[in-house]
Amino acid sequence: MKRIIKLVPAFLLVVFFAACETTDVVESGIYTGTIDEVEPAKTEIYVKTAEGETLELYFTEETSLSRAGEEVDFSMLEEGMTVEVEVEKVGKRLDPISVEIME
Amino acid sequence: MNQLPDFWRTEVFHPLSVHLPIALLLMATFFKLVSLWNNGETWNKGGSILLFVGVIGGWISIYTGNLADGIVSRELCDPTVLKDHENASLVTVWLFTSVVLIEMIHGFLQKAWLKLLMVMTMLIGSGFLGYTGHLGATLVYQQAAGVYVPSSDCEEFE
Repeated sequence: MKRIIKLVPAFLLVVFFAACETTDVVESGIYTGTIDEVEPAKTEIYVKTAEGETLELYFTEETSLSRAGEEVDFSMLEEGMTVEVEVEKVGKRLDPISVEIME
Repeated sequence: MNQLPDFWRTEVFHPLSVHLPIALLLMATFFKLVSLWNNGETWNKGGSILLFVGVIGGWISIYTGNLADGIVSRELCDPTVLKDHENASLVTVWLFTSVVLIEMIHGFLQKAWLKLLMVMTMLIGSGFLGYTGHLGATLVYQQAAGVYVPSSDCEEFE
């Protein structure tokens, strides 16, 4: 029984930290950060800002994506790239207005 | 004039696929709990079958949920609830998946403490399952996630 009492919380912690992913809600504005993850099927990116916040951004039809001032395709985005994003906070949703690849 | 959307939209496959595994996993927990006192085949093997099919259904729900996520996230006012729903669902399915593994080990070792660990994990998993369902319902009934909202004059139904 003592073994189980020790095992269950340890086991739960492992499952919890392995499965969970957290994101942050920030105010409207311009943020610079690194792309943590790219989900091409959802046209979605996760950006880790210099302040340590993780922004989950779903591209909309209005989102502009550029590099050196020129429009580029979503497929250009890769993990580890430095980007500058302008986001608009709608409720608690972050709509990306523009994403500029800095590198 | 608004047009009534097709019912078989990608985001609809998630609610269609979640309810069966919810029922199966809760019933599996009940069966395995009873089997601690009554070691009859009905409770033991019945619980194992419910668990196994429920876990498969759970992973299918994760897949359909992931498909729905890409569509509804852009329309929600508070996607953090969706993120919590996603996290809780992953914890739930991993917990029940681990129970399948514990049961396989129990099949070889036949240790009573393994069976107790299994039931305790299922009870905790059921708690997470309830929380996941609550968050899913919140998304639908407070934020209309994946729901088509008819026009005020119901013109598209004429």
